[in-house]
Amino acid sequence: MAARFLRIWPTWSRVRLGPVSGARLVSQTRSPAAAESATVSDLKPAEHKAVKSAPVSMYDKNKDYHGFHSDPHVDKWNMRAAFFFGISVAIVIGSAFIHYLPDHGMRLWARREAERVIKQREAQGLPVMDEYYYDPSKIVLPPVEEED
Amino acid sequence: MLKILIPTLMLLPTTWLSSPKWLWTTTTAQSLMIASLSLTWLKRSAEPGWLTLNSYLAIDPLSTPLLVLTCWLLPLMIMASQNHISPEPINRQRMYISLLISLQVFLIMAFGATEIILFYVMFEATLIPTLAIITRWGNQAERLNAGTYFLFYTLVGSLPLLIALLILQKDVGTLSMLLIQYSPPTLLPSWTNKIWWAACLLAFLVKMPLYGIHLWLPKAHVEAPIAGSMVLAAVLLKLGGYGMMRMVILLDPLTKELAYPFIILALWGAIMTGSTCLRQTDLKALIAYSSVSHMGLVVGGILIQTPWGFTGAIILMIAHGLVSSALFCLANTVYERTNTRTLLITRGMQTLLPLTATWWFIASLANLALPPFPNLTGEMAIMASLFYWSEWTLILTGLAALITIIYTMYMFMTTQWGPVPPSMNNIEPPHSREHLLISLHLIPILLLILKPELVWGWYY
Repeated sequence: MAARFLRIWPTWSRVRLGPVSGARLVSQTRSPAAAESATVSDLKPAEHKAVKSAPVSMYDKNKDYHGFHSDPHVDKWNMRAAFFFGISVAIVIGSAFIHYLPDHGMRLWARREAERVIKQREAQGLPVMDEYYYDPSKIVLPPVEEED
Repeated sequence: MLKILIPTLMLLPTTWLSSPKWLWTTTTAQSLMIASLSLTWLKRSAEPGWLTLNSYLAIDPLSTPLLVLTCWLLPLMIMASQNHISPEPINRQRMYISLLISLQVFLIMAFGATEIILFYVMFEATLIPTLAIITRWGNQAERLNAGTYFLFYTLVGSLPLLIALLILQKDVGTLSMLLIQYSPPTLLPSWTNKIWWAACLLAFLVKMPLYGIHLWLPKAHVEAPIAGSMVLAAVLLKLGGYGMMRMVILLDPLTKELAYPFIILALWGAIMTGSTCLRQTDLKALIAYSSVSHMGLVVGGILIQTPWGFTGAIILMIAHGLVSSALFCLANTVYERTNTRTLLITRGMQTLLPLTATWWFIASLANLALPPFPNLTGEMAIMASLFYWSEWTLILTGLAALITIIYTMYMFMTTQWGPVPPSMNNIEPPHSREHLLISLHLIPILLLILKPELVWGWYY
């Protein structure tokens, strides 16, 4: 059974897939890129010819073509929207926002403060950092005998 | 999180209800507004850990840059596809944009998920729109083959992960990343645990991809339409790196020894795929293999598990996301004019499209990790952390960096310099749309030089 099925498989697959996949599963992009591809053009000969016969440059119709749309009005406004929201809003306002973000973990503040303390201590002739973090004279230790 | 997710979901009604004439204008504008809004994620609290936005979705310094990158890519993908999709019937254009939007929704939920299982579901869900984009809108019949490779490589890798996650849920009782970091499972070096370890990482290693299981990637990149290549290179590969960084914390102490062969394989792969780039004839395949090579370094940086390794990995992921996406866009500008990706046929572009040649130059310099670019910072951090582990890795990483420089220069010189072939004499001038598209890739990478701590991840 399997052997017979395998023998008829090439015919069967062509019968089943031919009309369906040719019409639906294959990209019908009318861009020159798709049209040039060998397999797509085999499956869609009519479309292929249609593209070949009408090589229209957008610049014939619209000298200020920006690459957005074939209608010059839409093209212009699409360009304006993309530049406004891309450059003016996202890049310009976005970078200003990021530049003025709060100091993460107060690292810059800590650095500035450290430099200030160093200057102050050097001016007073003190070592930059004390040997003790806490002043030992101010630490009240429990009396020795309580430990026992 | 919802302030981004809801506007992103509302892009779907925008797509289906706006008039055919203004379809691309409205979707571009709205997605750019969402991208601008997503920058507010970068304003995080002083706490280095999670910023819980609700119980299912939260951000932390690791996911924030990836989330912003995801939001930034959608308008760029829409703009990049405009030229080759707009001749199609209107409903098909809407379907295409809807697929891109759904991809962004899934990616936001994947990067923002606090439950590992939600991350897993979204990780898998991104396959569907990507597969549809590749197999439905690719240019050649080989796209079906590429789709099969893409789907099955990724699925075979990720089914063991599902089982591993179910075991984890049974053992620990939770899959919440907020909780599980406090009680990671204690792993004894038994065979069961070793297999479990491999199952946890395999899905992400396939997605990255690691050398040896990378064959789906060049195929998918070459056959996908421009938006597919962009999102694959920029965000989907990073999903692998992100997942690995999340999982690898749970896998102590096994990773310490089990990771060695994978680190070596990744570094070896960086050299091998770099060498493959040197003899590529297809422009898109060259960029795809260069992605595999860079991701090899990222795998090394993550598996070495030092703070510098993680920081370098996240920096390199973001920088590579922007740069390789820009390179794919540039390759597409060539392809839309000459209908070929063969390097030998598309030469001497500098004399024809001088400003585009400038973009090529900046993108190539960033790709070969010239000094102030974040790519260099990332590579250096990874190389340094690997060097501290073993001095011998310097041979591998150094050679990989050298080969990266050679093939990137080869790509730039072949496409931009030399005599112009007669077939390219009357190609179309560049569009403002293409210049805008490339500058929106390259300006962020140049700005990141000035404020690199945005992408330093956990350890800043």
